[in-house]
Parts: sequence; C-alpha cells; structure tokens
Amino acid sequence: MTGMAPTTTAETAEKIRARLCDKRGRAFWRSLDELAETAEFRRFLESEFPALASPPIGIDRRSLLKCMSVALAFAGLTACTGEPDEEALPYVNEPESVVPGRPKWYATAVTLNGFALPALGKTHVGRPTKLEGNPDHPATHGATDPFLQASLLTLYDPDRSQSPRHFGHPASWSAFEAEIVARASETARREGEGFRLLTGAITSPTLLRRIGSLLEQWPNARWHVHEPVNGDLAYEATSRVFGRPLDRHLMLEGAEIVVSLDDDFFGPGPRQAIHARRWAARRQAFQKGEGDCRLFVAEATPSLTGAMADERLVTATLRIEAVGHAVAARLGLKSASAPELSASERHWVERAVAAIRSHPGRALVTVGPQCPSELQALGLLVNEHIGAFSATLRFTEPIAAMPPDGTRSFEKLTQDMAAGRVATLAVIESNPVYTSPSDVDFRAAMENVPLRIHAGLHYDETAILSHWHVPLAHELESWGDARAVDGTASVLQPLIRPFRDVRPLLALVDNLTGVLTSSDRETVRQTWRTDWGENFEARWRETLLRGFVAESAPPFVTPEVRDRGIATPRHFEGLTVVFRPDPTIWDGRFGDNPWLQETPKPFTKATWGNVVLVSPALAEAHGIGNGDELRIEANGRAITGPAWVMPGQETNTLTLTFGYGRSRTGSLGDGLGYDAYRLRPGDSSWLIAGATVTPTGEHLNVASTQLHQAMDGFDFIRTVDFADLEPRTAPADQSPAGQDARAPTFYPVRQWDSPSWGMSIDVDLCIGCNACVVACVAENNIAMVGKDQVAEGREMHWLRVDHYYEGDPAAPKFYSQPVPCMHCEQAPCEMGCPVNAAVHSFDGLNLQVYNRCIGTRTCSSYCPYKVRRFNWFDLTGGDAEELRAARNPDVTVRGRGVMEKCTYCVQRISEARIAAKIEGRPIQDGEIRTACQQACPTQAITFGDVTDAQSAVSRKKASPRNYTLLEEANTWPRTSYLARIERSGPDDEDGPG
Amino acid sequence: MKDAASTTVVRSETVSEEITRIPLGFPNPRAWWLLFAFALLLLATFIISVAVLFFYGVGVWGNNIPVNWGLAIANYIWFLGIGHAGTLISAMLLLVRAHWRSSLNRFAEAMTLFAVICAGLYPILHLGRPWYFYWMAPYPNTMDIWPQFKSPLAWDFVAVLTYLTVSALFWYIGIVPDLAAVRDRASKRWQQVFYGLFALGWRGSAHHWARWRQSYRLTAAIAVPLVVSVHSEVSLLFAAGPIPGWASTVFPPYFVLGAAFSGFAVVAMIAVVLRHALGLEDLVSERHLDLLGKFLLATGLMTAYGYFAEAFDVLYSGEKQEMDTLFDRFSGAYAWSYWGAIVGNFVPLQLLWWRRVRVQPILLFLIALAVAVGMWLERYMLLVTSLYRDWLVSSWGIYHASFWEWSLFAGMLGVFLVPFLLFVRFLPVISSFEVVETLFEEDRHA
Repeated sequence: MTGMAPTTTAETAEKIRARLCDKRGRAFWRSLDELAETAEFRRFLESEFPALASPPIGIDRRSLLKCMSVALAFAGLTACTGEPDEEALPYVNEPESVVPGRPKWYATAVTLNGFALPALGKTHVGRPTKLEGNPDHPATHGATDPFLQASLLTLYDPDRSQSPRHFGHPASWSAFEAEIVARASETARREGEGFRLLTGAITSPTLLRRIGSLLEQWPNARWHVHEPVNGDLAYEATSRVFGRPLDRHLMLEGAEIVVSLDDDFFGPGPRQAIHARRWAARRQAFQKGEGDCRLFVAEATPSLTGAMADERLVTATLRIEAVGHAVAARLGLKSASAPELSASERHWVERAVAAIRSHPGRALVTVGPQCPSELQALGLLVNEHIGAFSATLRFTEPIAAMPPDGTRSFEKLTQDMAAGRVATLAVIESNPVYTSPSDVDFRAAMENVPLRIHAGLHYDETAILSHWHVPLAHELESWGDARAVDGTASVLQPLIRPFRDVRPLLALVDNLTGVLTSSDRETVRQTWRTDWGENFEARWRETLLRGFVAESAPPFVTPEVRDRGIATPRHFEGLTVVFRPDPTIWDGRFGDNPWLQETPKPFTKATWGNVVLVSPALAEAHGIGNGDELRIEANGRAITGPAWVMPGQETNTLTLTFGYGRSRTGSLGDGLGYDAYRLRPGDSSWLIAGATVTPTGEHLNVASTQLHQAMDGFDFIRTVDFADLEPRTAPADQSPAGQDARAPTFYPVRQWDSPSWGMSIDVDLCIGCNACVVACVAENNIAMVGKDQVAEGREMHWLRVDHYYEGDPAAPKFYSQPVPCMHCEQAPCEMGCPVNAAVHSFDGLNLQVYNRCIGTRTCSSYCPYKVRRFNWFDLTGGDAEELRAARNPDVTVRGRGVMEKCTYCVQRISEARIAAKIEGRPIQDGEIRTACQQACPTQAITFGDVTDAQSAVSRKKASPRNYTLLEEANTWPRTSYLARIERSGPDDEDGPG
Repeated sequence: MKDAASTTVVRSETVSEEITRIPLGFPNPRAWWLLFAFALLLLATFIISVAVLFFYGVGVWGNNIPVNWGLAIANYIWFLGIGHAGTLISAMLLLVRAHWRSSLNRFAEAMTLFAVICAGLYPILHLGRPWYFYWMAPYPNTMDIWPQFKSPLAWDFVAVLTYLTVSALFWYIGIVPDLAAVRDRASKRWQQVFYGLFALGWRGSAHHWARWRQSYRLTAAIAVPLVVSVHSEVSLLFAAGPIPGWASTVFPPYFVLGAAFSGFAVVAMIAVVLRHALGLEDLVSERHLDLLGKFLLATGLMTAYGYFAEAFDVLYSGEKQEMDTLFDRFSGAYAWSYWGAIVGNFVPLQLLWWRRVRVQPILLFLIALAVAVGMWLERYMLLVTSLYRDWLVSSWGIYHASFWEWSLFAGMLGVFLVPFLLFVRFLPVISSFEVVETLFEEDRHA
C-alpha cells in the first residue's frame, strides 16, 4: 500500500503539517479527526507503523466475534474426524491392563520386499519401543534381521512425509480427494483405460484382493510391479524347467552338505533370518555329533554365506557357470559339458562332489537367484539328480503375486508411459525414479503422464516428479497382512495410532477408485472373513494374539521336470561388475534410517555410504588404496565411488551395492555414496561383463569402524579341528571350563551368589548379520553419531561385530565375532575409575553408573576390549520429539560427558528379578533374554546364571570349545566364546553321519 | 679479618641492591611489556579454547575410542614434570646444604608453582563433566561415596593438590625476608604497602630468623619426598592400566627421572634468559650454568637408562602384545614421536660432557630446549602409541590432535607465562639474603 503513495513520506508529513498549521482552536481538533480519515494520512501512518496496516483480508470486530463463536461451537466437532471409532477412549479410571512402565506386547509384522518379517511389538503406554522376533512363528521361530529391528525407527522418522503435496506444496486431503474422485469417475467411464498402478512386490492377500477388485472394476487398467532386488531370474529358471514359476525353499535344517554356487542365502533380505535359523538347527545338531554340516561356496565376492563356508572357492562370477557344469557332469548328469577348470576349481568341485555323493538325500546344491537362469535351471536338475527334491529343496507356488506382465512388468509400463498410453499413474510404496535401471528412462517417461500420484512414507525422488504426493501410514500404524517367505500369512496390526496426517495403504488404494470411506481394519477382516466363514471372530482374535494365521503357508508342490535341456556355459575374461543390494540400506529404502546407516556393513565395516569392492591383486595393479575414488565405466555409463580393498575378492571382479547416491531421502541419506542403479542395465541384471576402472586420484572419506582386520597371528578367534573335538559337548557332570585359564590376581577374589550372570557366544554359529547390533541399539537407546563422528572413531554401539580374516589375502578365511562388554570379574575399568562409577553388582554385572561418571575415560583406556563408549558431545538433547518417543523408557538416556557400555540388558534382568520376587521363586533359566540374544537368528548367544552348573550358559561354557577373549589380560571375563569348528584333514569326506 | 668482614658487608649491600632494584625499578620494561602482551594473547587463547571446550564438550578435541586421552594428559604429565625441578633444586639442595642453589632456587620455585597450576588444570579440563571434578576428592557428602582409592586418578588428585600446596608454601616462606628487603627500599607508597603486606611484618629479628629457618627446612623436608611420590603416582596412570606399553614396573622411577630431566632443562632455559635480560651475570654465574649442565647431563643419562630398561623388559618378557607395541613405536604411525624424543633428549645432550659447552649460555639454552621438546614428545609417544593399538586389532584407531587441543596448549603456555612474567617484574627473582649468606660463609671459610 505504501508503495502506491506518489509522494515520499517526508513530503506527506510536510503536507499534513502544513494543513494543520492554518487551523486554529476547534477547527484544529475537528481537522485532526478529518485528517485521520484521509487516504493520504492512512498511507503515511501505515508506512510509519506497518503493524497498524489492516490485513489483506479485512476483518472487523463483529466478524471476528462471529468467527470466534463458530470456532467455539465447532471445537466440539473435532472429535468427529474421519477415523473409525475403535476402542479409542480416554480413561477416567486407569484401566487394569494399562500400567505405565509395564509394556504391552502385540504380535504384528513389518514387510521387506513385500514379505512379512514377523515380529512382537513392545509398546509403552501406546508407544512402540522395540520389535522382537515372534518365537511362535513356524518359519522364523523368533529369528530377526537388522531390517526388522530398525523398521521401528522409520515409524518415528522426523523426515517422514507429513501431509499431501500438490506440485510440491502442502495440500489438504480433501483437495486430493476432490481430484481423485473426479479422476476416478473419468477413469471409470473409460473402463480404466490409461490407469496404471505401480507397486513393489506384494504378498498381502488383502492388498491383492483390493487390486484385484480394482482391475475387475476397471478392466482396462493395469497393475505393474517394480522391485529392484527381485527373484525374476529364479522364476525364469523354474519356468524353464518346470513350465511355471515356483518359489524354491531351502530346507537347510536337513541339508548336511550344501553346495552354493554364488548363492548368498545368509545374505541380507527377507530370507536371511529363516535361512540362518534353519542352518543353525543343522549346525547345532552337528555340534552335538548328529550328522554332518558342511558348506561349499563358490563366489566372486565375499558374502556372509561364503564367510561361513568350510570350503570357499574364489572364482569369477562368469566362471561359476563352468563350475556348475563340472559339478553336474561329475555327479553324472548327462549332457552337462565338462569345461576346463583351474586347479583350485577342480579341487573344490571334486571335494564338493565327493561330499554330495557320500550324503545322498541330505545334500543340496543352491544357485544364487541373481545367477543366469540357465545356471539356475542346471542347479534344479542337479538337485533332482541327487534326490534333493522333497528333502532339502522344496517348492511352492510363488508367494509374492506375479503382475500380469510377469518379469517384464516394469519395462512394459515405461514403454506405455513413453508412448503416451498412460493417463493416470499411481505409484505406491515404490521409488522407480531412483531405483529404475539405467536402460529404462522412467524419469523421462513420467513426463508423458498427465496425472502422476505418488503414495509413500517419504517425499522421495519419485514424489518430487509427481503431481500429487500423499503420505502413507507406516506398517506399525495401520492394518494389513502379508506373507512371510515360507508363505505363512501374518496380520499386521497397528501398535500406535498415526500421529501424522497420513492414510493407511489399503484405504489409499480404495481412494484411487473414488471410495473414500474404507477402513483398513475392515478391509483386512473382510479378506479373512470369506476364508474363515462362521468361526471368524474367534480365529481373528487368535490370529492377532499369535501374529500369524496358522497353517496358512501354501503346501509344497512336487513339480515335474519338463525340460532337461542344459545350455552350454559362456566364457568371459576381463573386468566384471557385480551388483548387490546394500547390506544395511537394501535397495535404498532405508536411506533415512540412521540405525541402519550407522550399522557397520559386514566385512568393510563401512557406515554411511557404499564402497566399491576391489580385489587385493587389482588394487596392487592399479595402485588403489582404501578410499581412493574410482571411476567405473561400462556400457557407456560411468559412476565414481570410493574403493575398498577386499581380501577374498576375485581378481577381476568389482562389487557395487545399491541404495546410495540418493538426492531425496530426507535429512540424512542425501549425497552419501554412489548410485549403482546408474550402471545397472536392467532390473534382472546383476552383473556387467566388461567394465573399465580408473582411479581418479581423489580420496574419499569412508567411515569404517574397523580399520584393521587381519588377525596378525593372534587367537581372538579360536578354531578347533573337527577331528580333535572329543567330547563334542560337555559331559553333564563337568563344571564350566575357564577357571583354570585364570592367572593369579592382585585383587581379592569374590565368591558369587546365585544368580550371577554370564554369556556365551558361539562363533561357530555367528554369521555376522548385524541383527544383534541393531537390536542392541533399539533396546538401549544408543545414540547415532553420523558419518564424521564414526570416521573419528566415536560410534556408540555397545555391541559390535568384529570381523577378521586370516591367511592369503586372495582367498582368506573369514570370521565374525560379536563383542559386547565382557563383564570381567577382575575388571580393569573398575580399578581405574576414581569416582566409583564403574562398579560390580552383586549379581556379577560390571555396571556403569551414569550419574556418578565424571568422564575421565580411564575405564575405556584400561579396557582391553575397548567396548566402552563415550558421549563426546550432547548426543541426545537435540533429538526430535518423535525420536524421543522411540526410546526405551526402561533405559537411561545418557547425557554429555559420560561413559556407557553394554549392561547385559540390566533392565531385563531387573524386570525378571522383580517378577520372580513377587512370585516368590528363583529366576528361571532362559527367563532373561538379552536383546542381542533375542535377535540372533542362529541362537549363537546364550545368557544365564553361571553359578548354576545346569543352566544353558553353564553347559555352553563347559564345552571343550569354550575360550575367553584375551585370556592373557587376566580379566576373568563373564562373556566367553565357543571356538569355530574347522576341518583340516583332506580325508574327512564321510563326516560323522 | 676486619677488612674481610667490611667487604662482605659492602658486597652484601650491593647484592641486595642488585636484586631488589628489579621489582622497584624494572631494568628492561619495554622487552617485558612486549613479552607480557604476547603472554596475554596466549592467555586469551586459553580462555577462548576453554569456552569452546565447555560449551560443546570434549568432542571438540581429537580424542576417540581407543585414544581416550590425548594432548591434555600428555601435557599434564609434561607440565608436572617441569614442575619437579624447582622443588628438587630448592628443597633437596637446601637439605644437603648445596649453597650454590641460592642463585637459582627462587625462580625455579616460581616456575614449579606455575607449571603445577598448568598441569593441574589439564585433568580437570579433559573431564567429560568438568563441573564434577571435586568428586575425586574425599569429602563428606550426602551420597556417602568415597573416591575409589584403587584408582591412580584418585591419588593423582590428592598428589597434585598436595604438591601445589607445598610448593606454594615453600616458595612463599622463602620469599618473605626478601619481600621485607624490597619493602624497606621501596620509595613509592603502593610499593611499601604491597610488599609490606606480603612481608608479614618481617623485621629480621633473631626470633624471626630462627622460626623462619625451622619452617623453611621443615617444608623442604616435606617437599622432597613429594617430588618422588607425585611423579611416581602420575606414572601409575599409565602403569596401572593393563595396556601393552603401559603396564610396566619401570615406570615410576622412569617418570621421576624424566620429570627432573625436563625440569632442569626448563630451569636452565629460564636461568639463561633471566641472567641476560636482568643483568644478573654475576649472581647466576658460569659456575651455575656449569652445574645446571651437569645436572641435565646426569638426569638425561638416567632417563636414557629408563628407555633402555623399558625396551629390555619388553624384549626379555617376549610377550607378543608388548613386543608389537615396542616395534610399532620404532616404525609405526607415531615413530616420529619416538625418534623425536630420542634425538631431542639424548643427542645434543652429549655436548654437555664438555665444560666449554656447559658454560656457553646460548648452547646450554638450545640443548635444554631440545630436551624440553624431546620430553614432550616422549609423553605424547608413551600415551598415544600404547592406546591407538592396544589388545584387539579390531579396535585400533588413529589420533590427531584437533585445533582446539593445540590452541589450549598454546593458551596453557600463556597461563604459565603471565604469572611468571608478573613474578619477574614485581618480586625478587633471586633469594638475596641467601646469596648474601652464601657469600658470607664463603668469605669466612676463606
């Protein structure tokens, strides 16, 4: 308004003064009033006092009062939101079931690639604080993985999308509804022509039912699936051999000999926990002397599976086909060619074949789902030949639904979009703009779609290119269902009401068809009501309590082999690039999850970024060191990323992982690492043969938590020879070993009353999956510090998984060793602390009293295991409100300047002790499970009372494999390890079975 | 005889005059002001560094796990080591009646006092929660908790505090008669009041002298064992930890000798500077430089023996962890600190075998400087090389001191220099009455 004044304020003031000057007496006063009304004066006033200017939309006193009264009247209506009225009542008298401080548990699940990871969710007064494995689940038996443990944090992610956005600007749901209803009626007129739905892999019966009904309603609409980490090649292989796509199930519990051709079945992903648990069952039986357990792995890049192998063959990915053919030929499979093998390959093949032959019906040959379908098909034929079908390898119909175009679904969609055949594109929980392969220009194709809708948890790369972005509710705040990899269905029940303006996935799918009133809970119930019929309510209740639908896994099928054709192996010499999902960020979806970002990746221990794995030989040839920037070129495209020299990597193989190089994850994951999708030709492509690598001369910062991984002749990991292991387990009468390993000490020796806690960790079972690390973070409110601080050596993990290799860097042995606090009986930290902050408890715990700690850090300097962590800054005070809600209220949040460390989950011990005391009984063995123990998919961790000779932990410690870490430091640790079992002799083909 | 007595009186008058004129009318004010301005700048650096440290936390330093301790603790030990020479020179030589000490003891004691203050500040600053530092003290409290007496740190706290108290007392008792002398010569009112107050009404009566001598010698007797105990105690900070490279019984004597060594080096440096700047060549004579050089050489050779004994112990034990640490010191990431210490401490030192070098002020100064730097490197080396690669290879890390650690170090030199320069400017830097007494005794014996 002031801008409109033709004169300057000074001139205006002058004029006003002049006008006043010639007025006298009464006229003067009247004139002031008159003056105040003039436009000129008002302009002057507003320019001098902008606060007095009336707002653009004028509101006077009367209308303000009107508004206020209406607002007052409407205030009562806020209870009438669109949310259904389901048992959400404020309590007048505290209900008996809700006791602040006493958690409630709900069985539910989260999903990864569409597959359910069954969980028990712990809630404190309505806040989920921890997810644990569901011990009753028929497939997982309580096993978990890092993704399950960390998905809790995604729920609380402050960067999660908060409201719908229209062209990037915050918008209301009603505006979205208005547009989508209009669009739906138009789409309906054209019977769905031009409507496309793009999702990730789906196993959810309800979601499939809703999509099915959408497609029924709109017969011309199409549903597409895009999943960057997929099993398409495995389906191709089964289609080839059996004539239809089937899911394979590795029955590792019965497989005494497993020959893996580049199959990382222990690797990250929805199958990790289940495979680990099944194999652990076999391994534990083997440790007791029941049957054999041997693992042969041929691979080009170290994997968690390869690290556990008894015999690991390092060979190029494209040589594996030849190796597979050699195995097939030697097993007597006709028409398998017998290619030339190198000496090491021949040796490995001979031993693997001999082992398979000596274990008929108890052997299994697995081929990685990322391997060429010809090789996978060969693997299936080999398994048929050795009698693995119906024993160690079973099949079911695909658990995840196949989209109409099968494995070419995403490509088809992009083609249609580019051709302008798509009018409405709804992308649900998928981020194709980021994850699409480089040959598919999804981004450009998107421009051709008139209406693009994105629904997801984050405002990501795809959302930013969409007209509408709508925020979805997290799985822990909505109803749903999904199947685990064995096919058992779980009902996902919410642990918390959405605390943001978000909508459940199922409701949103219905919204797309113009239905605005659907309830996700009812939709799920409807699905199962048709299945269960009359007894529905009882079964529903039972399912919610248990967390899964009993006996809902599809039956195994015994398929008939239709095609026994074997393709001849291909040959390639030169540099090969192989792609892998990232071990902690997966395909990129966990980019905004600091728990996973800061979890050190297996082997490299890198955090907050991905690295390019290069072999020691290649590194030497090119003069590459860790962190040197490499430029990798293939098919005319290039990426640059930091190198990591990986012992055990095949000479001419480079390993890239997906998930990094993102531009829109939120505040945490942007600009970290490189984007491997830019090099990936297609969704089913897992390697590029023929690439060039050149160091750029730059050096990049890689935040690794373990700078030195060679064991240097120390015995941190001990191994026992299988032949020497006699007796295999402790005789029942033998007391725990280790006492004799104790040298005399200066300090008084305490006598311990029962219970006194201790832990045993079996490095023969640990696969190094990191589930325990993330579980510990979730349970103990461990602060995340970010890339720079990790690089400084200031990560806060109480439990770390140390990784070692031993032997020739070209083909070393790999070991993983979880290291929590040792809870030493003669603890140097306690001796060093000047203020009694590090003390021993009556029940054998080495405790850190945070509010007594003044931060001298003597305890950490004196700790031979360096398991103590220091709060160098105030790491918790600045946490967002949402993140505070994720904290475990039973565990102190540590402030600046204090030392912290593993407590053996003292809060769980206290809980059990209080419960036992109330019930007037001793704490039972197995009653207390530490977070790491609970999470471990292989049950490598045992915890209990060491003064009770019959407790599980005492039995473990009595094993001849028992040893303590750094015995020479004479700290008398309560955490001890069980040595890894290895075989040295060449003549052990028979094994014990 | 009568003549001799009268010359002595005349000489004693001139000696007193020569020393007391310094505080009353400073001979070189411009140089002093330049130095003082520089020291104030350093002090400002100290204040800023501490403010940053307290605001953000110890994370502004380069420390990490495994190198929990860094520059702060290395400097603590270094400053405390320097602080040992003053007491050694004054108290021990007083008790063994080595009268030549009287030309050196006053400023050596002042140096001790300020170095111990610097040393004492470091462990408090390096705490995660420095505001609770007093929890290390055994005091009655509502929590009913004592310090944990097995910890070397609890003893450190007591040792440093005791040493500071005793050093301050010893220095102050020694200076009282001289303060009276300055008071008596002061012409300005403020000087008369200032020195008069601190002279505690000293009139030089026979009673005063008798009481004074009692208390002075008593304090000296307390101070001498402290020299040994404090640094032995400090060495336990390392030796008590079960860390390869630390857990060694040779550490207590090794540290005490190293402390005396570095202390003598700094005393020699200060002596050279002061005698030149204040024109005290006749009082701090060639003989004193010679003696300082001899002490430096002797303590240096004993320290060298410590190095040898430490390496021998490790090789004799044959423990893999210990051997790895030893060899890593020779050739690892911090080999520069090891060889720097060896070269700085022992190579130029060998020149002190010649008297001509010992009495050459500039050479003595440079050799002493090399020793001060070398001993600093030694503290750094002992601390970092043991921590950065300890037992488990998986927890190995690397340590680089951050900007704020270096700035605190520079600032701490300011904390040392500011009071020391004030001392030089306003207090008698040499014990005049003791010099007079020495002269008298010498004449009488002649």
